[in-house]
Amino acid sequence: MWTTVIVSGISLGSFYTLIALGFALIYGVTRNFNLAHGELLVLAGYVAYWLWKSWAWPFWLTFPAAMVVLLLTGLILQRIFSRLKEPLELNSIVFSFGAAILIQNGMLLCFTGDYRLIRVPALHQGLRFQNFYISYGQFTLLFLSLLVIGLLYLIMQRTYLGKALRATIQDKDAAAMAGINVAAMGTIAFSLGAVLIGLAGPLYGCIHYLYPSAGHEVTLLAITITIFAGVGRMRGVLLAGWILGLSESFAVIFLGASWREMVSAVMLLTLLVLKPRGILGNKP
Amino acid sequence: MIKSIKSRIKKLTFADSGLVLVFLALLLLPVLVGYNDYILQVLTHALLLATLALSWNILGQSGSVSLGHAAFFGAGAYGSALLSLESGLSPWSSIFLAGLIAIGLGLVMGLACLRLRGAYFALASLAFVEIPRVITDNWDGLTRGSLGLAGIPGLPSLHLGSWYLKIGSSITASYYLVFVYALGLLGLVGFLFRSNFGLALQAVREEETAAGSVGVRVDVFRMLSLLLSAFFTGISGACYAHLVSYIGCGLVYGIHFSALPMVLAICGGRFTILGPALAALILYPLDQFIFHPLLPAGHEFLYGLVLILTVLFLPAGLWGTIRKNA
Amino acid sequence: MGHHTEERIKVSALSLLQLQGLSKKFNDHLALNAIDFSLREGEIVGLVGPNGAGKTTLFNLICGRFRPSSGSVLFAGMDITGCKADKICRLGISRTFQSSRPFLQMSSLNNVLVGRVFGKGFRFNIRPEDVNMAQELLEVVGIARKAETPAKDLTLSEQRRLDLARALATRPRLLLLDEVAAGFSPVAVKQAVSLVRRVRERGVTLLIIDHFLNLSLQVSDRLLALDHGEKIAQGPPKEVMANQEVIRAYLGLRYEDENV
Repeated sequence: MWTTVIVSGISLGSFYTLIALGFALIYGVTRNFNLAHGELLVLAGYVAYWLWKSWAWPFWLTFPAAMVVLLLTGLILQRIFSRLKEPLELNSIVFSFGAAILIQNGMLLCFTGDYRLIRVPALHQGLRFQNFYISYGQFTLLFLSLLVIGLLYLIMQRTYLGKALRATIQDKDAAAMAGINVAAMGTIAFSLGAVLIGLAGPLYGCIHYLYPSAGHEVTLLAITITIFAGVGRMRGVLLAGWILGLSESFAVIFLGASWREMVSAVMLLTLLVLKPRGILGNKP
Repeated sequence: MIKSIKSRIKKLTFADSGLVLVFLALLLLPVLVGYNDYILQVLTHALLLATLALSWNILGQSGSVSLGHAAFFGAGAYGSALLSLESGLSPWSSIFLAGLIAIGLGLVMGLACLRLRGAYFALASLAFVEIPRVITDNWDGLTRGSLGLAGIPGLPSLHLGSWYLKIGSSITASYYLVFVYALGLLGLVGFLFRSNFGLALQAVREEETAAGSVGVRVDVFRMLSLLLSAFFTGISGACYAHLVSYIGCGLVYGIHFSALPMVLAICGGRFTILGPALAALILYPLDQFIFHPLLPAGHEFLYGLVLILTVLFLPAGLWGTIRKNA
Repeated sequence: MGHHTEERIKVSALSLLQLQGLSKKFNDHLALNAIDFSLREGEIVGLVGPNGAGKTTLFNLICGRFRPSSGSVLFAGMDITGCKADKICRLGISRTFQSSRPFLQMSSLNNVLVGRVFGKGFRFNIRPEDVNMAQELLEVVGIARKAETPAKDLTLSEQRRLDLARALATRPRLLLLDEVAAGFSPVAVKQAVSLVRRVRERGVTLLIIDHFLNLSLQVSDRLLALDHGEKIAQGPPKEVMANQEVIRAYLGLRYEDENV
């Protein structure tokens, strides 16, 4: 039984990390908080749902579609974010809050408040091992998430682009002086982030009900993981995701499903109050 | 004396006359709309939102942007509802006590979160509101959980000698009660902002370190502004509960009552006294009378749009910009 | 007024400010190392030293912006180590900042009034004598004409003087001035010198950070020289400026070598 909970926690946590990666990347590079993050994820889910339901697209094809839509949306948002004045962090919060309201109502208009779900029956069957049970869905989440995280890690560590991004995250001004086009880095961060959301959205749509206000809790998740990892750092994001995923799984077992929503809030508050620089981050 | 009145009248701007008109319209509203229930209810709600925006702005004056004020709204709503349902207290008392409960919650939040500044405080407030929400949702024994509370007694009755006015059952009377509350709060906020208390808040907001170095007790003033803000938000929440007689934690602790005060205050003008109230009186009726019929789902996009436009083009807010150019 | 001040200076020969073993460590960097110093009432002391010597850190420790890692600060015999900035102001120490920090949206007059109203504890209302005092201070620093101007519309030099007026409004016994004359032309330095002397005549003891030396050499009774967080010299200006270590700190080893 324990193993099942742990497996569930790890697979969920890996998925949370995938969701949060875009947010952390955008914040790290541009110091903009994107509070519309959750709404964007739900939007990607809705796009996938609509294509799958109304146009009978195969599920796998909705992924690239969602990624394209989100890329466009992300670029539009980035245009506006770049016009914000100091204090960047607070202004980005206020602006993206407004964007979240806009997107949420847009989705309400297009899809109504009914709960939607992409039904992929294969995902709910699973494998039973000696100690535990893992569904194909959980396995896919775990596998895909780790794959993408690994890919992103490789990009950040092994490519010139990754180096430039990391430099911008560490110190924008120093990076500019070293010849890095900081504005372009911002655009790339937004694009990458948007694509990651587009990738995670359809997955989200088949393991979780889609409704317009579902984004709020996702945004909270992303913020928690980003702050946990150390604001602006990418390394601890997977660890943060796993801890969050495991905490939620255990909370569900011990306290009941309705307490789950409080886990990320309590974690975020504790982090902000005790260790605003993140668990792993000493130097910002 | 005549000379000074004459010069004062000369100084009356277009904006000032507009304000007088608005006040008169609100004062005579029931008569003007022929006691139309629907319109009165919408304007009652708009006035309540005005009080929410005004109380939010008390904290906003000190520089802190809260995204979780629904915590105090919900605490006030549930507090007053439960007190009047379970203990049979008159709503006059339960509303006031609910305000005190909200202060208590504000104290907890302040002790935990006021060490944070700017964006981090905003994020902390976003997280903080989930705690009373989930606790209320799960504490079935006390709050009936996600079923919500129904049958909350109407707004309090007024006894003046042998004259008895049952406000709860009269939409017009409820309207005037909220109107008086809003007016009173507006007066209080105006007094506070113009006093040395307001001076301190402005100093803390603009240059915190310098303010401390000239003797302003930064921590005390930030906490006081949070507690005052929480108190009146709680009272507004309590009024709401008695107005609508049914509340659920998804709503009163929800993003709607966290977002609206902040949107209204910022769009109206964060650093003005009247701005938040005016934004409420303009935007909510606009939303309800015009956009709601057009877009039954998604009409609240208006608030998002106005917020974005304000951040990008009118950072001082609508009223703030008008005041600047007067 | 001058006579009074003379008496006050004579009577309190005891030190107004005493720094004992004051140290501050930031992560791994030792910004200040065991500073001992006494400041007498009525003095003007110049705190000098090259960039990074720890001068502003010393101010921050005295004024409660940071807690010292070790050591203590005594003000008129009272231990104020680790007290909060607003409390220290109410006790009688005020400061200005290296980069001016007026309340930008407020008028100059209101800026000074903030100092007046909060400098010695909160007051509910503003009385006519408060406004008069604020006006007077604006005159002392030379920006009386700009009383109603929002601080954001003042020039940089005017903003600096506004900061000074605001700090004076808190009626301090000890005033810490951080780089009040940085980058000033000789004419402006002259004005700053007379301004500082006027402040002293009001009975305020002064500790002045002066990285460029142009002001403090003219106006100080004593100098305290720091380098890399250590006290390297103290005493009358002529003496301190002739000190080999001080010369080396400012001008580098090569200069010293060339002149040996």
